[in-house]
Amino acid sequence: QGCLQRISRLLCMMESVGLQRSLDSYAAVLECLGRSQSSTQAVWRCLQQLKNDGFHVDDLFQKCLFEEDEKEMVLRAIRIVQPNYQLPPPPSPQTCKSSLLQDFYSKERMVSYPKLDFSLWMELDNTVTIESVESTKPLTPQAMRARSVLSTLRSRWHGALLQALHKSKRSMAKLRNTSGYSTLYPYLCLLPDEEYVGIMMQIVNSLSPQGESLAVLARELGSKVYNRYITQRKLRSRQLEKVRAVYEGYIHLLAKDSQPEEYLPREYWEKLVAEAGFGPALNLKDCSWPYMLLMRLGMHMLELLVEALRVPRNILNPRLEPRLIPVLYHIYSFHSSWQVGLIKPHPIFSQLVSDAGETLLTFNSSAIPMLCPPVPWTSPHFGAYILSDTKLMRFVEGVVQHQQLLEQCPQVQLHPVLDALNQLGNCAWKINRPVLDIIISIFNDKGNEKLDIPPPVSEVPRPSAPPGSSSSWSKAHKQELLLYKKKAAEVHSMRMDALYKLSIANHVRDKVFWFPHNMDFRGRTYPCPPYFNHLGNDVTRAILLFAEGRPLGPKGLDWLKIHLVNLTGLKKKNSLQERLEYANEIMEEILDSADRPLTGRRWWMKTDEPWQALACCMEIAKASRSPDPAAYISHFPVHQDGSCNGLQHYAALGRDLIGAMSVNLMPCSVPQDVYSAVAQQVEEFRKKDAEQGVKIAQVLQGFVSRKVVKQTVMTVVYGVTRYGGRLQMEKRLKEIDEFPEEYLWEASHYLVKQVFNGIKEMFSATRDIQHWLTESAKLIAQSGQTVEWVTPLGLPIVQPYYRSRSTVVSTWLASAVVGPRRVWVGWKPDTVKQKNAFPPNFIHSLDSTHMMLTALYCLRQGLTFVSVHDCYWTHALTVDIMNQICRQQFVALHSEKILQDLSQFMLEKYCRAPLLICFSSGSSSPGRETRAQWQKKLMEQLSNVPKTGDFNLKEVMDSTYFFS
Amino acid sequence: GPGVLTRTLLNAGVRVVALESNSAFLPNLQSLENSLDGQLKVIYGDFFRLDPLVTGTVKPPALSSDKLFESMGVAAVPWRADVPVKVFGILPQVRERNKLWRLLFALYECSSIYRCGRVELNIFISEKEYKVLTSKPGEAKAYQALTVLWQVGCEIQLLHKEPWSSFVTNMKSRGLAVQKTKWLPNDHLCLVRLTPHQNLFTGSLKPTNSATFIFMVKQCLAKPRSKLTDRLSSWSLDNGGKLLRELEIPQNAETRDLYPEDYRRLFEALQNSSEFAETWFNDEVMESIRNINL
Repeated sequence: QGCLQRISRLLCMMESVGLQRSLDSYAAVLECLGRSQSSTQAVWRCLQQLKNDGFHVDDLFQKCLFEEDEKEMVLRAIRIVQPNYQLPPPPSPQTCKSSLLQDFYSKERMVSYPKLDFSLWMELDNTVTIESVESTKPLTPQAMRARSVLSTLRSRWHGALLQALHKSKRSMAKLRNTSGYSTLYPYLCLLPDEEYVGIMMQIVNSLSPQGESLAVLARELGSKVYNRYITQRKLRSRQLEKVRAVYEGYIHLLAKDSQPEEYLPREYWEKLVAEAGFGPALNLKDCSWPYMLLMRLGMHMLELLVEALRVPRNILNPRLEPRLIPVLYHIYSFHSSWQVGLIKPHPIFSQLVSDAGETLLTFNSSAIPMLCPPVPWTSPHFGAYILSDTKLMRFVEGVVQHQQLLEQCPQVQLHPVLDALNQLGNCAWKINRPVLDIIISIFNDKGNEKLDIPPPVSEVPRPSAPPGSSSSWSKAHKQELLLYKKKAAEVHSMRMDALYKLSIANHVRDKVFWFPHNMDFRGRTYPCPPYFNHLGNDVTRAILLFAEGRPLGPKGLDWLKIHLVNLTGLKKKNSLQERLEYANEIMEEILDSADRPLTGRRWWMKTDEPWQALACCMEIAKASRSPDPAAYISHFPVHQDGSCNGLQHYAALGRDLIGAMSVNLMPCSVPQDVYSAVAQQVEEFRKKDAEQGVKIAQVLQGFVSRKVVKQTVMTVVYGVTRYGGRLQMEKRLKEIDEFPEEYLWEASHYLVKQVFNGIKEMFSATRDIQHWLTESAKLIAQSGQTVEWVTPLGLPIVQPYYRSRSTVVSTWLASAVVGPRRVWVGWKPDTVKQKNAFPPNFIHSLDSTHMMLTALYCLRQGLTFVSVHDCYWTHALTVDIMNQICRQQFVALHSEKILQDLSQFMLEKYCRAPLLICFSSGSSSPGRETRAQWQKKLMEQLSNVPKTGDFNLKEVMDSTYFFS
Repeated sequence: GPGVLTRTLLNAGVRVVALESNSAFLPNLQSLENSLDGQLKVIYGDFFRLDPLVTGTVKPPALSSDKLFESMGVAAVPWRADVPVKVFGILPQVRERNKLWRLLFALYECSSIYRCGRVELNIFISEKEYKVLTSKPGEAKAYQALTVLWQVGCEIQLLHKEPWSSFVTNMKSRGLAVQKTKWLPNDHLCLVRLTPHQNLFTGSLKPTNSATFIFMVKQCLAKPRSKLTDRLSSWSLDNGGKLLRELEIPQNAETRDLYPEDYRRLFEALQNSSEFAETWFNDEVMESIRNINL
């Protein structure tokens, strides 16, 4: 506000504790000078100091984030001494130079975007309220009564909360005057009181009858306040206005009347921002609140809720004496050695809510799919939603390392990842209405557990209650009632989940919509809306269609049929041709399913993925009945799955010949099954041992099968240990009735050993690589550092596993234990996790790289592409092209020197600055060894890259069943 | 083990029923049984797997207390009568705390061994648990829900203290399998006698409502430094202040300040004022039983 004195005092304080002035400090001083129209001398002195600290005046406008009129004020100050100063030109765009993307970025190129009809729609509210799919049910008089009671109560509670908030703020303010300190007070003054009350009321309305843990509720309340505050800031600083202006220009790129463009979405956005002269001002200064603050604020609000909300005890039963009782109560739940604080609604309130059957659902606006294309990611903190803050990388609460790493790396290095996420987010979707209607009709009837439509709680059979108070019931009765309650709670939560999904789908049933994407720390991508998205279960996937339609083309109908057979789970061992023939054989069943889904022979219900199968049957029926199936416009996504994708990457890394063959990296006439191959190998070992008189090998005769080994083989990729593997085996053997129980331990022990041996035999280099990764991570973590690497696409990764302790937030009501995994102890790495998780994380970073490469090259070819990790979706027309790109990119990725590059990177990172290594204490640490020895050991380990086999990677190009 | 307890008891001349959970030791014990002319009876079974909670047939060494008492020839006596059976044993260190809890539930429900009356336990427990069982209000860390409930339920006498060093070491690690403790001493194994109080069920505390009492005590002492009034009001029991005045408990008392007997009085007062008739409290009690019975 132009008060130079205060700023000077702040700067002095900074200096006294040895803090350097940053560019932002200078921006603040200059802003103040500009505002107060200061003397030339003062400005001159300031600019001189700025230069002495190694900054340049242009830096101010290129790097600082300004809000409101801050930028103009800084400029005014500078022009006091340099009247002719001009703003620096925006930096020229840089292009990524990764060898994997040379073709993608350097070609003379045009990108065509699907032409879609949509209207500009922006979410401007933090929450969205929609009708639930249950609203079509008729309203009973009882429900009407309950609704009116509830609404009276709510308005009373609103007043009570407002009063309680005032009171608590007053007492805090008083405290502030006397002791001068209250951490929470400023955070209770950021929003109008009404908004705090609104947020609290939302929590009450969404509380489930089973209650919720204190920590979860507190966090939710805290972050709701935070989000609301951020929105307010965006509005006030005119940031939203600027984004809106750019966004309106941006969507022309994707609108129905646009031409192929030479810009990628990100580039186009950056161009528009530069043209508008906004610079980096589109971002808000980062101001996320610490976790502890969110918790304290939330706990305080919870206290107000518990204190203020009261309900007349006789509201359901007028014969009781009228007395006000609290609506929420707090108790502890005990689980062996720990206890959790819970907030539960009083049964009277739960009963009212259930009687009222209210049909409006309120969501955070980021939980609903976007009704216009997402804002493209242009930096690690800008993209996706217009209003809600979204992070490029999901992270564990409190971990800041990912964001730091992303911000520190050259931004051009992130372009491929940003562009891939933009491509995934730009896929437009629509609802498969006929399928949705069938699902809703079953949902609103009684549900169907077999078809994965959860029934309402009223369908769970209730045990008859014996007379007398519950304390006098027999043990058997109590037991029965407990089982009922447990089942009812499970059914309730599944029912609510389905209700949310279906209601959101129904809400957008006539619209085109988008799922903005972000990723986890390994680069695996996820849609941001949590309930309804294409990563969901069979039911949700079945109601999604691409908004854009494409003709089937000559082979499209065949692909639809093959896709249908894949969804049934039958014919897994047969060739594509045989699957197609099978589909043609059962054409009659397919058409019957499509025409009379609920009244016919219902073939679709017996398949592995019934709802997707039904949707596919309907599509096949429509296509095959159209006069020219090749010209039939299809919106249907066809999936191609990687077969045991983790092992595929391992086998390619190690060039393991036998391994590569068993996971379909080699062309073959029928799909290979790695689980059967391992089972076969184990059986061979067993036979040999049995002949040599090993007792347990003889006992196991006839019990070694694909089913027994499958889970263990699958999880080997994810670093399952012998211990875990044995437990899995034991479970499988227990399922076999004939297997003698007394041998369980010995047999599972033997089997897991042989499975590991079998894998070692088939994937010899794979096991070496796994071992190398594990050992390297162990040494790195023991030296007190976290494991970091960079994917071939340039994404920097750090494993977020640190030693932590829990901290307690206390109030009169209760103390919520924050953590474990919440408060980090000096950022010391958790050695065991760093070590065990490295191989699977590394492999996931590779599979995500492969997916992103495929996504980018599909964009170049004009394909629609989305993924569910290792399952790729596109139109039937373009399956063949996608398959080809997918193989090309796999070969290209593994033709890079991935392990050598990793070794090189880690040597530079961990062996260059020996003095910086701090040793962790503890029994496993290398306390007795000297640093030099330790350094040498690490260096040897990291440079000793495992040898690879002689599989010829190019073979992948011709492998039909690599992804199928 | 080598049967120190059994031999001592036999030498004292009493009738002994020995429960042996390891079938490897059975033959020797059985030959001893045959040579003793009825003074010793050997049964294959594990005292700590009495009356398992899983439904279905009970497979040895698990066994049901009904069958056990039947084969011992012990008939149930009223609660106020004299001790019908004395039990001697050593509480295994593995999940020792859980075993103490299970015994406690059986005591308050009058189920399992307590079905035939006030069975007296003479058991070796670790010193740290002994300290918990016998601690006084306000003793930080030691005064817990377990303390209150055992002290309300039983008379607790220390019969003997034996240093850990008198015991055979664990073969594998050459050390004792004794838990290290931070707050409480744990250098001995303590032989304690737990005799159920004759008047345990004379007031309004009954085997049928005792689960509510246990639940209430656990809830109060989940956070020992919380104020009792806050606890009461957080359960939506609104007139807690009046109740405390009647019981002459100070308004600012923390839950760790209350004597075991105070908790009993509080419970009986709540029981009489029909506060617990509110449905949710009973539901929560049932819920908690499920967690306890793990």
